Amino acid sequence: MKKSLKRSLFGVSALAMTVAAGCGQDEAESGDADQQDSGDTQETEQEEAVDQDPGELVVYSARNETFVDALLNKYEEDTGVEVQALHGANPLQIEEEAGNVQADVFISNDLGALGYLERQDLLEGYDFDGIDSIPEDFRSDDNEYFAVSARARGFIYNKDMISEDEMPTSSEDLFDPKWADVPNGYAVTRGGNGGMTGHVSALRHEWGDEKTSEWVESIQENAAAITQGHSDIRRLVGQGEHAFGLVNNYYFHQQLLEEEDNVGFLYLDQGEDQMGTVANAAGAGLVSGAPNEENAIGFMEWLLEPENQVEFVGESLELLINSEYGVEYPEEVEPHIVDFDDLKVQDMPITELGNYFEDTQDLIEQSGLDLDLR
Amino acid sequence: MSNDNNRKSHQNNDQNAKVGEKLSPTLLRYWRRNWLNIWNGNPPGLILLLFGFVIAAIMSIPIIYVAWRSAFAGVDRWLRLLDDRIPGLLWNTLSLTFSVAAFAVTIGVALAWIVVRTNIPGRKMWQWLLALPLVIPPYVGAMTYIIIFGPSGWVREFWEDTQLLGGIFGSYPIDMYSFWGAFFVLTMFTYPYVFLIASASLRKMNRNYEEIARSQGFKTSQIFWKVNLPFLRPAIGAGAILIILYVLGDFGAVSMLRYTTFTSAIYFQTSSFDIASASVLSLVLIIITLIVLWIEARTRKKSNYYQTSNSYREPEILPLGKWKPLAILFVIFIFLISVILPILVLVYWSIIGIERGALDADFFGYAWNSLTVSGIAALLCMVLAMPIVYLKSRYPSVISSFVDKLSYAGYALPGVIVALGFVFIFNNHIPFLYHTLWMVALAFVVRFLPQAIQAGEASLSLVSPRIDEAARSLGYPPWKVMLKVIFPTILPGVLAGGALVFVSSIKELPATLMLRPPGFDTLAVRIHWEASESIYHQAAPAALLIILVSVIPLRYLLKKY
Repeated sequence: MKKSLKRSLFGVSALAMTVAAGCGQDEAESGDADQQDSGDTQETEQEEAVDQDPGELVVYSARNETFVDALLNKYEEDTGVEVQALHGANPLQIEEEAGNVQADVFISNDLGALGYLERQDLLEGYDFDGIDSIPEDFRSDDNEYFAVSARARGFIYNKDMISEDEMPTSSEDLFDPKWADVPNGYAVTRGGNGGMTGHVSALRHEWGDEKTSEWVESIQENAAAITQGHSDIRRLVGQGEHAFGLVNNYYFHQQLLEEEDNVGFLYLDQGEDQMGTVANAAGAGLVSGAPNEENAIGFMEWLLEPENQVEFVGESLELLINSEYGVEYPEEVEPHIVDFDDLKVQDMPITELGNYFEDTQDLIEQSGLDLDLR
Repeated sequence: MSNDNNRKSHQNNDQNAKVGEKLSPTLLRYWRRNWLNIWNGNPPGLILLLFGFVIAAIMSIPIIYVAWRSAFAGVDRWLRLLDDRIPGLLWNTLSLTFSVAAFAVTIGVALAWIVVRTNIPGRKMWQWLLALPLVIPPYVGAMTYIIIFGPSGWVREFWEDTQLLGGIFGSYPIDMYSFWGAFFVLTMFTYPYVFLIASASLRKMNRNYEEIARSQGFKTSQIFWKVNLPFLRPAIGAGAILIILYVLGDFGAVSMLRYTTFTSAIYFQTSSFDIASASVLSLVLIIITLIVLWIEARTRKKSNYYQTSNSYREPEILPLGKWKPLAILFVIFIFLISVILPILVLVYWSIIGIERGALDADFFGYAWNSLTVSGIAALLCMVLAMPIVYLKSRYPSVISSFVDKLSYAGYALPGVIVALGFVFIFNNHIPFLYHTLWMVALAFVVRFLPQAIQAGEASLSLVSPRIDEAARSLGYPPWKVMLKVIFPTILPGVLAGGALVFVSSIKELPATLMLRPPGFDTLAVRIHWEASESIYHQAAPAALLIILVSVIPLRYLLKKY
């Protein structure tokens, strides 16, 4: 017994040694790469194109990993640049790292987060090739960031459990505690979720802080489930676990691909005298002081190419702002796509969201919705 | 030879005295006498001591930093958090911790008693089978039980397909995402700590006491309560403390089961970079942990249980009689739900995963990352543990025990706090290591160094100090004795410690999650993410791999108790 123990331990240590040796090699290699890099920059001063080592790109992303991964893989294939991605990143990480910048590009599904970073001077403007394809409402003044896809808020509901005319139609309706009593109740995401943050910002613009806090408190009290993200909600509603849930429209599109065809969707506040649905957009920003700035600019311009804007939407089934580029939706989803222009959308420009970001976070934290999960 | 030695030391003293007289002789002499007193007249060399101090400092810096930052969080934030956040978190955390501890102790002691003291068939086999849940990280256990009982789980599907069940009992009653889910999972995967410790002390229990009790007319059940249980108290206490510390620090399982405790709250605050709030919450958690440790130290001092070793006789094995079927059923049931069921679920999903090509280049990339960073951590721990072990056992004093205690700081405290401290320090003060795998490896060292220390200590206690003295007399300074003579002698123990650290590091979740550089995902991180997205066919092979690796040091663990 003792002998075999010794042997297995020896195995482990041998493993550890090879690992250590491996690291040493890695280091040596990356050291080489660094040298090459500096060599490259010297050469580029003399002649433009040196494509021996395209280098790397560090992407922080707050968007669902599945969607971003496909996009980044395509970028790697197209350009040979090696992408290091940190998924689930928070914009405040970029602020915290301001003195020691790590990220080159920040991708977010909340324009408020990008707007906030721009206001803190943490993003860098640049005159990107192809930026004209993005309408001015969907990018900042100096193009520190731009949006590619748009989404709108609404209720996904289970048609077997509740009919369309029994549903709430507006954000305001959720003040009413009676919605806690629908079969199995309803679901919302945690306040830390980008979609929820944008929603709360929009309500603060419309209603002011006091009424918005009350609203946050009432959904916190009345919702039957508070989830980490929207995917959970669409699945739960599809399974009949809850009657309806507050999500972005593309989660409805995703749920349509599931086996059962039992969900419907209602855009918020579409009535005559109502505020219009809350819209948000997903996009990317160029981080100032980016360690791989050249690649970062290259990535942003690559992203602006029509086919890559389509790829940005990818499996998320969001609405492409430039709908003429033709995102192909699956046949189950196609009939349910409502063009952004046909929606009644709240009058606040999306790029305003950044001005609300910080105080919205405080408001959500004070209510406790940032942490609660149930 | 000894004459020679004496002369040498005499000369040394003279030299020192001369230097001292030039400065302030009384002060220096006073200081020197005290210094020698602390070390019982045998101070270690300066180099060795410096080493020890540096290591202890590294180990404790993250925690000191967190405490420091929380002190500057501002009165407003403190009040706000104390008002609406902390009471709820306290209740969630403490109710879970103590319920799990109580149940795990009950199950652990019951199993230990049945396996060690009764004639249950397959006693030897059960002794290690029932320790097996130790190799399943609780977050993996949580995932498997979400697959079985969760909202789209197997049991629910069955429930809904069976008219009868729905008709009699109404809608599906089990909610894994609740207190009960977290309670169940954590109990099932932590009870082995108590089981192992209780088994060990049951095995050492002297038969004489029981025979006296029996001769006084006690029944077996009475003997259990009046004789066995009191003797088990230290073991139960030690096991309960281990479990309490574990549950206080657990992040993976509770976050998967959507139950908010201090650790998950700290994690969310840190990942949204609300560092001030995160450090306030951390400080509260640190205080809770310290209170637990303090209670443990006190109770250990207060109660002493002695067993006489000279009249020791092996405990008698009791026949189960009519209880036999029940006992067997109980043991099998626990084994089934804590080992067999989770493994079956993982194997099932792994097969599906492998068919769908889950073992792609990405998978091996993640495995390689796990291996690299854990391997580095293990090597570092083996090296760094040596000075501390050596100081503590060969130069016992206030100072060396202080160094030793400090190095336990990161071990007792939850991983999220260590990670939080690391984010601060590396980002602001050591930028060139920030977002490298070295930062992750160092965090593992801070978290798991005591495992290497304990293993080293156990080996060193078997090496006679005479060997050291011989080496010293031949002119080696203490640090050289440690490196050239002692290190090779206790190498097996050091390697065992390294293996323990390696496995703990591979399983580690919160610090890896919070500190990993972009593009550096490990198996544990992938499992966490894939399980949260319900992509089980990709999570299962990784989980199985982690479990297989964890089996390596299990033998050592079992021997330790």
